[in-house]
Amino acid sequence: MKIGRLPVGRFTARLPALVRTTTFRLALLHASIFILFAAFLLFYLYYETAGHLDRQAGGELNAEFQELSAAYRGGGFDRLNQAVIERSSARGKFFYLLQDGSGDKVAGDFDVLPAAAPEAGQVVDVKFDYDARTTNGDPSRRSAEGRISRLQEGGVLMVAYDVGELGEMNRRVSIVVWRSAAVGFVLSLIGGVVVSRSAARRAEQLARTTEDVMGGDLSRRAPVFGSGDEFDRLSEQLNAMLAKLERLVISSRSAGDSIAHDLRSPLTRLRNRLEGGLLEANAEGQKAALARSIDDVDGVLDTFNAILRLSRVQAGASGSFRRLNASGITDELAELYQPVCEEKGLTFQYSHEDLFVMADRDLIAQAMANLLDNAVKYTPAGGSIRLQTRRNGAGEIELLVADTGPGIPVADRERAVERFVRLEQSRSLPGSGLGLSLAAAVAEAHSGRLVLADGDGAVGTPGLAAILVLPAA
Amino acid sequence: MRVLVIEDDGDAAAFVKRVLSEAGHFVDVTGDGESGLSKAREGDYDALVVDRMLPGMDGLKLLKGYRDAGGRAPALFLSALGEVDHRVEGLQAGGDDYLVKPYAPSELVARVEALGRRATGDIPTTKLSVGGLEMDLLARTVVRDGSKIDLQPREFRLLEFLMRHAGQVVTRTMLLEKVWDYHFDPQTNVIDVHVSRLRGKIDKDFEKPLLHTVRGAGYRLEA
Repeated sequence: MKIGRLPVGRFTARLPALVRTTTFRLALLHASIFILFAAFLLFYLYYETAGHLDRQAGGELNAEFQELSAAYRGGGFDRLNQAVIERSSARGKFFYLLQDGSGDKVAGDFDVLPAAAPEAGQVVDVKFDYDARTTNGDPSRRSAEGRISRLQEGGVLMVAYDVGELGEMNRRVSIVVWRSAAVGFVLSLIGGVVVSRSAARRAEQLARTTEDVMGGDLSRRAPVFGSGDEFDRLSEQLNAMLAKLERLVISSRSAGDSIAHDLRSPLTRLRNRLEGGLLEANAEGQKAALARSIDDVDGVLDTFNAILRLSRVQAGASGSFRRLNASGITDELAELYQPVCEEKGLTFQYSHEDLFVMADRDLIAQAMANLLDNAVKYTPAGGSIRLQTRRNGAGEIELLVADTGPGIPVADRERAVERFVRLEQSRSLPGSGLGLSLAAAVAEAHSGRLVLADGDGAVGTPGLAAILVLPAA
Repeated sequence: MRVLVIEDDGDAAAFVKRVLSEAGHFVDVTGDGESGLSKAREGDYDALVVDRMLPGMDGLKLLKGYRDAGGRAPALFLSALGEVDHRVEGLQAGGDDYLVKPYAPSELVARVEALGRRATGDIPTTKLSVGGLEMDLLARTVVRDGSKIDLQPREFRLLEFLMRHAGQVVTRTMLLEKVWDYHFDPQTNVIDVHVSRLRGKIDKDFEKPLLHTVRGAGYRLEA
């Protein structure tokens, strides 16, 4: 059986309400853009600080190597050896190692090559760690970068520099970059939540207003705070729209109602005169005609009364609501209707459980009596009528009347609860055509709904199940 | 019965007067609240029929004034306002019954006569008896001509109401209101079926029927 609500996607349903709000999604997008910007900014910062020093050191190494190469080209191995010894003893920024063709140290600060040497005539850049002694003689492991070249005539030259300071700089800048990124992300998320909360609150107020209006309180208006922001503008427009809607509804409702109301008095007088005539009439034919006229007037008056009653229920002006057991109402109705069902050759089934609702006993009883009247009228002898109270999967309370009559085609069900709609097949039976409308109005007055579904019949005559779905109390 | 009708609409007042007169009652009519109140206090009436909306003083106020001054005649409100709230207001103001316009003449007569009976039957009774039919309200038993009749609780209440108004016409609407406490008219003949079941229990095995159908009006329990 269908309950008149669309299923919500499982995934969406499981997300917390906050995450589902549009504003939160916007906040998330905003946070992501902020993160991208921060990443760019921090990369740029790195490039201009640590990166710059790195490049500077690289440039100096280049120049140093060039000079030594020039010495080698100008004076061969010996000249190079001289230059290395000079520079090494000057204790500058760079370390050196010069090896001869057999791989033995000729000059420099290192005893062995800390990395593999390249092929002849090739130059390679290397990074390595080495053991050094601090000024007070303690050993310490340090990092270095350098360039190694295999000389044309045999031998290897290495020039390197200590990157200890540079490495520290790199490390610090990296820490700054990552921590700032983390803090930025958290801050923008918090900002997003705060913004989305306050926006969601405003949106929630609007939603509540429209809900109340749909619930029948046409006088409800959305709050305007005077800040002139987009929510205020939206509220103002919504309020203007509601005012217009209220005028329209009142005028259209009151048109029908005032016709019914104004015609009731003259019709009552007409009826009284007919009754008076009936008392005086002598001829049987006259009496019968008058009696028929009275019946017709009664029919019109019944319809007018039903209209007025329906409008009062729809306007929410009727009823005193208290917490009561729905089965208490159906127990009495079952007792009232069981005999008439049996009289008509219908099987009457009643099942119930204790279920509490906030309700007006008389309105619910009237709505259910309308549904039962319909079931009794439309179900042919030999059929069955089922009255039941139960709790549905969503925890709502259902008061159900199912029959094995002709039912209502799915396409006609929505129309069947409108005012005065009587489907073709039912035109021959008495009634104002307001029974289902009244049941639907009563359901709405209780913040519930009337659902029409297939009943208990077989194929071809599915029957009708009319279900008053009410919120549990 | 002497009945005072307080109704401002001339046609409606004439109609009420005529219907009640036809049924054999003496009827006085007055058209506004003030004079209605003084007449009700001066005259010795068995029942009042009061329109809820009157010029000068509305029906609720009138009846409150009457009751405050010690007036005891039972009163029936006539009104176009038929919601439960309106009925409750009427009963709180001291009304004994409430009839929504428009109504059938038989309904009006039945209700006014039911009022008259109530006024005289003020002493609490524990036993009701009509013909050979006896009801013990304390023991919740019903006996006819010595043989016990088993009734469902609702059937008991239905019979009790009929017995309390024995000899009078009781309408279907009255039964729905007083026995079932429903203030709407079902579209199916639910009441008739209940009454005929009750009839099956109290009349079936006996020669003389007690429960009569009054065509176009309702039922009457009469020996």
